[in-house]
Amino acid sequence: MTELLHTPLFGLLLTLASYRAATWLYGKAHSLPVFHPFLVASIPVVVVLPMVGLSYEEYREQIQGLSFLLGPATVALAWPLYRQLRTVRSVWKPVLITTLVGAALAAGISVLLAWWLGAPEPVVGSLAPKSITTPIAVEVVRSTDGFVALAAGAVAITGIVGALVAGSIFRLLRVHDDRIRGFALGLVAHAIGTARAFEYGEKAGAFASLALGLTGLVTALALPWLWPWVAGWLFGI
Amino acid sequence: MLDGLLILLVFQFLGEVLIHFTGLPLPAPVVGMVLLLLALMFNLPGSDRVSEAAGMLIRHISLLIFPLGVGIVLQWSRYQDYALALTVAVVFGTILTMVLVTLLLKLLMPGERHHEEHHHD
Repeated sequence: MTELLHTPLFGLLLTLASYRAATWLYGKAHSLPVFHPFLVASIPVVVVLPMVGLSYEEYREQIQGLSFLLGPATVALAWPLYRQLRTVRSVWKPVLITTLVGAALAAGISVLLAWWLGAPEPVVGSLAPKSITTPIAVEVVRSTDGFVALAAGAVAITGIVGALVAGSIFRLLRVHDDRIRGFALGLVAHAIGTARAFEYGEKAGAFASLALGLTGLVTALALPWLWPWVAGWLFGI
Repeated sequence: MLDGLLILLVFQFLGEVLIHFTGLPLPAPVVGMVLLLLALMFNLPGSDRVSEAAGMLIRHISLLIFPLGVGIVLQWSRYQDYALALTVAVVFGTILTMVLVTLLLKLLMPGERHHEEHHHD
């Protein structure tokens, strides 16, 4: 009986069933950020693996086929980016400046905070790509020598926190412009923020999709060059 | 769907090839994404056939990601010493960034609502 646990079928079945149940619940909860499938789908896997005595390493190996698709999924991000580029032609200047400054802020603030509180280099490196969409983040984190698991988790929590606090921040700062709401959500909170932005309407959603794509692109292109320099400066290596 | 998947794999492969020959320190799929974006912008024939497969992969991105995040819980001993640093950096860092980015946008974005408000006056 136990040999059934040690085939890719077990890991894939567990993963897909957990995800399906999580998307069902997310729909029932009207897409509330705290019910995001990333969090909910993790619960059955976290419970079942130790229960049946399967190591995390073996599980990762079982679902390799699924993880491989992250590559094509990253390439696929070119499509929504291409579709949104035309909607912002008139405001390309503020969009470009905000992307560059915002991407630097998003990475810089979390890196400095974690460093200041004494986290070691690989942990700090895992946080650098936390504001960018996960498929790009797990690729980029290899260049900062971070932990893939930590990066994926930090990205998800960032998205959820960002989507949850955005409404209050926009109210406090008296922001009524859907372009600003959308762009801020997509830049800071990637895909989860973009889903939240669509609740403000199509225009906010389009600006969020654009911000998500541009921030991911800028961070992915800049971080691998900048990281050795930043790490050297912070950790003296 | 099949065409789309084929296009995505071809561009990922092109990314790998480019990195292999240039030694750029970039992730191959990101380079593939830039190449596909260029192909779309220059209207390379057939490149828009990527839409169906791309949409499907992006819609279910959480399925591909959450098994990686599970590692945080299952390998918690590796991270527990830095729990405070992680929580502050992720939660407070995100809120601070959101405020700063929103303020920056308010400063830079030309008003479109001025029009409407004047009309209502």
